[in-house]
Amino acid sequence: MRTRKSKSVGIDRRAALKVAAGAGIAAAAGMAFSKRARAATTLNIWTGYPELVPYYKSVAEAYAKTKPDVTVNLLSSSLREMEQKLSAAIPTGTGPDIFDIGSGIAIKFIDAKLLDPNPADVETYLKSGAWNKFTVDWFTQGGKTYGLPLLEGRAQMFWNRAMFKEAGIADAPKTFGEIMESAKKLTKFDATGKMTRSGISMRLSGQGSGITEKFRFVLEPAGGTLLVKTASGKYHNGFDNDAGRKALQFYVDVVQKDKVDDPKVPHDADAFANGHTAMLFREAWVIGEIKKKNPNLDYGVAPIPRWDASGPVKGIIQPWGVHVNGRSKQKEASWDFLKFLTQPANAFQITNMTGWVSAREGVDWGPLLKQTPQFEVFVKPPKDIVLFSDPILPFWDEIQTRIADRLPGMFIDPALNGNPAKVAEAIKSLATICDNVLKQAGAYGTA
Amino acid sequence: MVGRLSGASPDGTRRNALVEAVRYWADEHFSRGNWRLVLFCFIVLAPVLALFGYVRMGPIISSVILSFHKWDLINPIKPFIGWANYAELLEDENFWLSLKNTAIYALLTVAMSTLLAVPLAVFLAAKTKLSVVYQTIYFLPVITPMVPMSIAWKWIYDYNHGILNYVLSLVGIPSVAWLTDPGIALYALVIMGVWKVIGYNMILLLVGIRNIPSTYTEAAAIDGADGFQRFRYVTLPLLKPILLYVLVTSSINAFNVFTQVYVMTLGSQSAPGQAVRVLVFDIYQNAFQYFRFGYASSEAVMLTLIVLGFTLIQFRVARNKEGQDG
Repeated sequence: MRTRKSKSVGIDRRAALKVAAGAGIAAAAGMAFSKRARAATTLNIWTGYPELVPYYKSVAEAYAKTKPDVTVNLLSSSLREMEQKLSAAIPTGTGPDIFDIGSGIAIKFIDAKLLDPNPADVETYLKSGAWNKFTVDWFTQGGKTYGLPLLEGRAQMFWNRAMFKEAGIADAPKTFGEIMESAKKLTKFDATGKMTRSGISMRLSGQGSGITEKFRFVLEPAGGTLLVKTASGKYHNGFDNDAGRKALQFYVDVVQKDKVDDPKVPHDADAFANGHTAMLFREAWVIGEIKKKNPNLDYGVAPIPRWDASGPVKGIIQPWGVHVNGRSKQKEASWDFLKFLTQPANAFQITNMTGWVSAREGVDWGPLLKQTPQFEVFVKPPKDIVLFSDPILPFWDEIQTRIADRLPGMFIDPALNGNPAKVAEAIKSLATICDNVLKQAGAYGTA
Repeated sequence: MVGRLSGASPDGTRRNALVEAVRYWADEHFSRGNWRLVLFCFIVLAPVLALFGYVRMGPIISSVILSFHKWDLINPIKPFIGWANYAELLEDENFWLSLKNTAIYALLTVAMSTLLAVPLAVFLAAKTKLSVVYQTIYFLPVITPMVPMSIAWKWIYDYNHGILNYVLSLVGIPSVAWLTDPGIALYALVIMGVWKVIGYNMILLLVGIRNIPSTYTEAAAIDGADGFQRFRYVTLPLLKPILLYVLVTSSINAFNVFTQVYVMTLGSQSAPGQAVRVLVFDIYQNAFQYFRFGYASSEAVMLTLIVLGFTLIQFRVARNKEGQDG
């Protein structure tokens, strides 16, 4: 009996020990698991704008206060490199959870079904009035919405007040004719005839679609457009016309006839920030560059002028979106982060920190404008501005790049100087290049 | 061979016949009885060959296959289109322009870097106190990574603040738009290319010259040959295998020029893309910018064939010369 009892007690003890050990292991494992589960959500974000990294980090830190189990990993590279990385990674299922990208690449992912339409709550959020109709339409394809707008590129005219004052010019030019007249007064040469300061900095050299993009800053006010969409949904060039010829002629005159810019002198944001040019067409990020490189620069920002007094003020707008990878394993957490990322407070932050203008409506820009009034024309553009944008087409970049291959040679070709027939011939050749890409993509049509 | 096979297969099995056949082949092609050594060599080399096949031959074969497809990086539909990519290539202005620019670049870079490397090597072959210093200086560009080097050259070539124009101004030569002038930009790349490879060619030739037994040149000197004659009739003919190697490797490298073109055309203050468009840049643009991998592969195949053709011609010319000289 004792033995039995004792045996029975012994069994109970062992059983109890086993249960205790098992419970301990289970509890430890459970704790470890729950700890892992809490810290398991890591969102990988890839951006093609390295200057946005501090912004993403700051938002991630703020987000971690409400969702401590979520951590964010960032990878940034130049825009073109990021497009290549994403194009290889997304189809192979090795991409990030979240990425920002232009519509030209996004549409390829959508066509290949690599991006899911927005979940119902995200779509409701997108259409809640936080963004204007133009922007919402931009993120709509075939009746479905994809991604959320993050920022928008708007180009305006930067002009150096001090240089204008010195040249006796009261205000920023209002027409392209005035641009040329002002530029002639603002350009400086040394004793040997070498240009030391350009009147206006145009994109004249290098390679890549940016050259054509800047050409459109002149082409659109002149009344042309790169692509015209037909009633049947096809496309053809929209610049083998008087507007196209006027735009190219303007460039040729800038370089050759009026000599207010030269491929050899410094260009772009650097040149403007460092006082090597008096005028520049560029986006708001240049404000950030000027703050860093020459904070005392006396400059203003105005809309890109009308072609002539009767023409419209045209302004480019390029919304830029953030997307959740269709193959992400953390879609829910990713969308939640994106909704947080695009809140009004963060929309203000992106502009304040990076110079890029948030695409969101209803942001109180007062504090920003008080500090940097040059943002005014970007965040509160004139009411009468006629917006134009990039068509969302997979072959858009190719069209712009192929035209860009030819433009720098044309700008400096002496045969085009004062020779309208040659200018017309050059424009026709560009139009043929454009239409050939459309034909190859099966998108060419005139009716 | 049949007699040998049947005689060497006591049990008459097919397996033994095959072993005998391999043995016979090895005996015929290598020294008799050494087939075990040959087999051992192949076994030892197998991992390297497998790796080479995987990382080198695999991509080349894939490129050939891709070139017959409309292969878009993102689009999952990648149909077989036969020779269409090659037909399009023949009508592509960019392809012909890049082929022309690449040919000019390769011809000038190879010719100049070889022609300049030969006298340098001859000069440095004399073992003076400073020859090692000079060798190091000339070899430094070879080991400098291409991207920082290209950025440095972009600064050197700068129209307004570049050191090259400054040096030219000291002797009264006006500033040259090395990068932004479309008529000059390609030659600016050639100068940089020569600077980059001349040290490598010089070192190879130097090794070749130092390996020529001094008895030949001494004999020529006793026969009354002067310095140039010794170089022309003794050194140069004996250097031919090294020269051939230098020409072949330089040509292959020159046809593959890309990084410096990419860096030097980036940004607004850079070379006009079309003026310096080379084949690999065109391949890169079609593949990684337009995502037309099939088309880009057809260009890559063409480049491979062109380089292969040039290499074979160089070998043939060198062999014929050797024959004539012999």
